[in-house]
Amino acid sequence: MQTIEALLLEPVGCLAEFPSPPFHEIAVRLFGRKGKAIPSASVTYWRLLNLIERADRPFDAGKKSIVETLEVEAVDAASLYEDVVPALAELKSMGIRLFMASSLSRRAAAMFIERNSLGEFLSGVCTRDDAGGVKSAPLLNALGSASLPPEKTMFLTDTVEGIKVARNIGVHPILMMNDPDEAQRLAMHNPSGGVISMHEMPDFIRLLAAQNQRG
Amino acid sequence: MKKVSIYRPTTVNEAIQILSQHGSSASVYAGGTDLLVRLKNRLEQAPSYLVDIKRIDHLRYINEDAQGGVEIGAATKLAELADSRLLQEKYPMFVEAIGKISSPELRNASTLGGDLLQEVWCQYLRGGYSCWRNGGYLCYGAIGDNSYYHSAMGGRLCYAVYPGDAATALIPFDARAKLATPQGEKELSIEQMVPGDMLVDGKIQSHVVRYNEILTSVVIPPPKPGVRASFEKLRPRGVWDFAMASLGISLQLRDKTIEDSRVVFGGISGKPYREKTVEAFLKGKTLNAELGEQAVSVALADAAPLKYNATKIDMAKGLLASGLARLNT
Repeated sequence: MQTIEALLLEPVGCLAEFPSPPFHEIAVRLFGRKGKAIPSASVTYWRLLNLIERADRPFDAGKKSIVETLEVEAVDAASLYEDVVPALAELKSMGIRLFMASSLSRRAAAMFIERNSLGEFLSGVCTRDDAGGVKSAPLLNALGSASLPPEKTMFLTDTVEGIKVARNIGVHPILMMNDPDEAQRLAMHNPSGGVISMHEMPDFIRLLAAQNQRG
Repeated sequence: MKKVSIYRPTTVNEAIQILSQHGSSASVYAGGTDLLVRLKNRLEQAPSYLVDIKRIDHLRYINEDAQGGVEIGAATKLAELADSRLLQEKYPMFVEAIGKISSPELRNASTLGGDLLQEVWCQYLRGGYSCWRNGGYLCYGAIGDNSYYHSAMGGRLCYAVYPGDAATALIPFDARAKLATPQGEKELSIEQMVPGDMLVDGKIQSHVVRYNEILTSVVIPPPKPGVRASFEKLRPRGVWDFAMASLGISLQLRDKTIEDSRVVFGGISGKPYREKTVEAFLKGKTLNAELGEQAVSVALADAAPLKYNATKIDMAKGLLASGLARLNT
């Protein structure tokens, strides 16, 4: 793997513990999904993104308002992982550019950044509203707007969908191994690497730099 | 087995030159009980060039120094340490610990330096998984079966425990290591030499010895009057296995009052884990039957077990209680 210059961050599942019911509720109300919410907010979120991606037309104002309200509700209830701020501070001090590349709405992403005081660490924010789409769209938008070389960029994810999306655009998918059993299954989908916690990312990037320096 | 080329230098300087020439693709070869297994397992990380140091004079000895301490050559066999009358007289706890390493057959081949600097014994690494120590970027032990050989005290990318016993038994005596480097001799405490998962020369390893440095000897200071020491080890089976938890402990006593102590756990962390909270707690206390239970109550507050290894912490605490009880008899 090449020396890393930038990280793309999707808040759901990688930066904070989100509740799954608001994302499930969006799927129920806008796409007619049935059943109960599953515990994993990340899986629920990425399933919702699949539905949004497959929708044949953009949300009208009413639906957009429903989605945003429920996303804001999710952000409101999300709790930032305790290692995120120190890790982001260290990464920034190492010269790594940090981008929020999220399929959340601009409003929800902005609220998440403000509530958790993350603005000072970020070099940029790309949401589905900025990118005009979900999943790979915000990632591609971040890459393009900041001229980031994909092979020198990582995307942190804790879902199969996230791994696939990153792979498809040439970015290194790094598995956030939040749950050991789930991580075992996800590790079979060939991520470029995996970490137990954000606090390991600075060491990960330093190790790559040292390896590349030694050739 | 992975194909290798073997050098047989006759001096330490020659060995350092060869190591410097080949970088991280070369490795010191002494007892071979760890290194050859990695080669047989065809691990990506196993070296391509072996620098056999067995022909170098002055690396295999046990000598009393002028101050009454003992200097041990790094290539000294573990069996020789276990049989040493000098060590038995001065540091019986260290000899007891050496006797609990691996099996008699392997102790005939393994060296002190090899035990101190050996690679971790994680079943995923040894099975050729592409982990942090084997060309990959993920710790399979952290998410897989971590019952035996993984840290219950957190990790740094790799979650395997430091597997050696000698360091756990040497740190309570404030032992030091001498290294030959291209810039000359370097001396470190054992604790400084094996600080746990470190990024050294683009690799993750448990020690700070660089690719072109050689551990030449270990110096144990003279035994202090009033010091009592104990070593105990719990492992999945009676012989030939690594510690699930171990404890090397020394107490400096004046009558029954503890003036100073060293409390070092093995098998629970990526390094020999010196428990300074317990050391501070013990200072000034009277060694008695109740002390073990009290010490356990303050021990290992920073524990961060993985899914299957919380029992290591219980084991370690049990060893602390039993270690203090042994020293009270």
